[in-house]
Amino acid sequence: MNAAPAITQAQLTGRHKADESSPVRIAVKDLNFYYGSFHGLKSVHLNFHDRQVTALIGPSGCGKSTLLRTFNRIYSLYPEQRAEGQILLDGQNVLDAKVDLNELRSRIGMVFQKPTPFPMSIYDNVAFGLRLYEKLPKADLDVRVEESLRKAALWDEVKDKLKQSGMGLSGGQQQRLCIARTVAQRPEVILFDEPTSALDPISTGRIEELIEQLRSEFTIVIVTHNMQQAARISQFTAFMYLGELVEFGPTTRIFMNPEKRQTQDYITGRFG
Amino acid sequence: MAALTDQIALTRDRAAARKKPGGLGDSLFRAASYGSALLVLFVLAGILASIAYGGWPAFKEFGFGFITSSAWNIGQEQYGAFVAIVGTLASAFLALLIGVPLSLGIAVYLTQLCPGWARKPVSMTIELLASVPSIIYGMWGLFVFAPLFARFVQVPVSNVVEGMPIVGTLFYARVPSGVGILTAGIILAIMIVPFVASITRDMLDQIPTVLRESAYGIGCTTWEVVRHVLVPQASVSIIGAIMLGLGRALGETMAVTFVIGNANRLSGSVFDPGSTIASRIANEFNEADGLQLNSLMALGCILFVITFFVLVIARLLTRRAKVA
Repeated sequence: MNAAPAITQAQLTGRHKADESSPVRIAVKDLNFYYGSFHGLKSVHLNFHDRQVTALIGPSGCGKSTLLRTFNRIYSLYPEQRAEGQILLDGQNVLDAKVDLNELRSRIGMVFQKPTPFPMSIYDNVAFGLRLYEKLPKADLDVRVEESLRKAALWDEVKDKLKQSGMGLSGGQQQRLCIARTVAQRPEVILFDEPTSALDPISTGRIEELIEQLRSEFTIVIVTHNMQQAARISQFTAFMYLGELVEFGPTTRIFMNPEKRQTQDYITGRFG
Repeated sequence: MAALTDQIALTRDRAAARKKPGGLGDSLFRAASYGSALLVLFVLAGILASIAYGGWPAFKEFGFGFITSSAWNIGQEQYGAFVAIVGTLASAFLALLIGVPLSLGIAVYLTQLCPGWARKPVSMTIELLASVPSIIYGMWGLFVFAPLFARFVQVPVSNVVEGMPIVGTLFYARVPSGVGILTAGIILAIMIVPFVASITRDMLDQIPTVLRESAYGIGCTTWEVVRHVLVPQASVSIIGAIMLGLGRALGETMAVTFVIGNANRLSGSVFDPGSTIASRIANEFNEADGLQLNSLMALGCILFVITFFVLVIARLLTRRAKVA
């Protein structure tokens, strides 16, 4: 019955200590989501703390990606999908019909399952998003592009080939390029949707380190199907199952001392 | 252990029982497919050779001047291809100028903006356009479109631009009959739209959803997503589609013959009648003999070369785009 936890104490080291006093950046209140008639999220209540990494875990189809996709309303590209309830970003409900979607998405960046470099040069990939919202002189733009590439730990690898196509980079580099592109807009929140699922272990490691560094500036939400990853990089963890939030808390507690039976079964690998 | 040995033996027996490669059936099949491939080459080479042979007397008679001369005088046996070449290129260029933006618009609408229920009917209508025989376009162009075009476009536009520099030449109809290079270009545009639009639509559909979402995800508007991400991403295929349309526009005969006016005249106005290589051949082939027939063959040769170069350029463009 008391199976050994899949995650050991050693993996939950001190640097990942959750800061529960950190202010709430996103407050999800009674969120329901529908794919046509399918009820994808059922009355989810959840708070995301500022400058903390919150991992959303759970078996496939549990709604973790669905939840992530409501924050920047990317789901609204598909007319049959709709969300009800409240998602307060600094007090403003992003589900409000009056919200300017483009502006919202420049405040909430998103990194996807697969690297998605745009068909343009490395430089332009980063500058593209910047140019949409800020009219910067060339010199300032250069500075911002370099700063973003540095934050994405990619600068040293690409500084000599900024004019080359972003499609020529390796998978891991492409994903860091996408992170640089997101960071360049100086968003408040960065959403990661299984960012390493298409990458090899070494690239995965670098992305994880990067997320740890980015935490000092951004509020981060990451969906992962890899529990070890959640344990390694997050301060808070939310476990979801069948469209419901089962348990939420500091990562250390969720993994070492889950309150709910379902959570324990999942993290010990009994299902999922 | 014994079971495993048995199984290995069985597999070996089965492999031995299989017919050895290189049997009669195999070599027959190889010869047949090899033959089919060669046949295509031979037919193509044969057509090219016979047209070149037929056109040779004209090339010999007029030399390089055949290409640069704008004479086409049956009585004096003076022939030159220049007017027809210019007409061919001009009408095809106009067709692309009108047809490509239209096709891109249709493809973008169908893949990005169109509500689900409207997608199927609109797509099907576009594809139906492709199945309309070219003679129908020609007939409709001549009897329906040309009179309306003359009355509502050529006459008013000519009145406005008359006497102005450049546009006064380009858009002035001396005889507003409705037929002319621009009319041919418009009809051709309608004819190439289904091809270019449906290929472009398929290519835009093949772009991974995550790429589209990530473009929206950094706050792009639909226009920015399409303009900076989707179209460049599909650019190689779109160029291919455009070149396919261009190939069709260059060689289209029937519809163009109806609406281009078939005049051997070089004019600076897109409203004036002209002719294309294909329309010239279609018009005169029946009654041509002697040097006139040779000249028509030579025209055919030139068209062949033009379309060949279009194909080569298309290949080069798509290859370069792939590298970049």
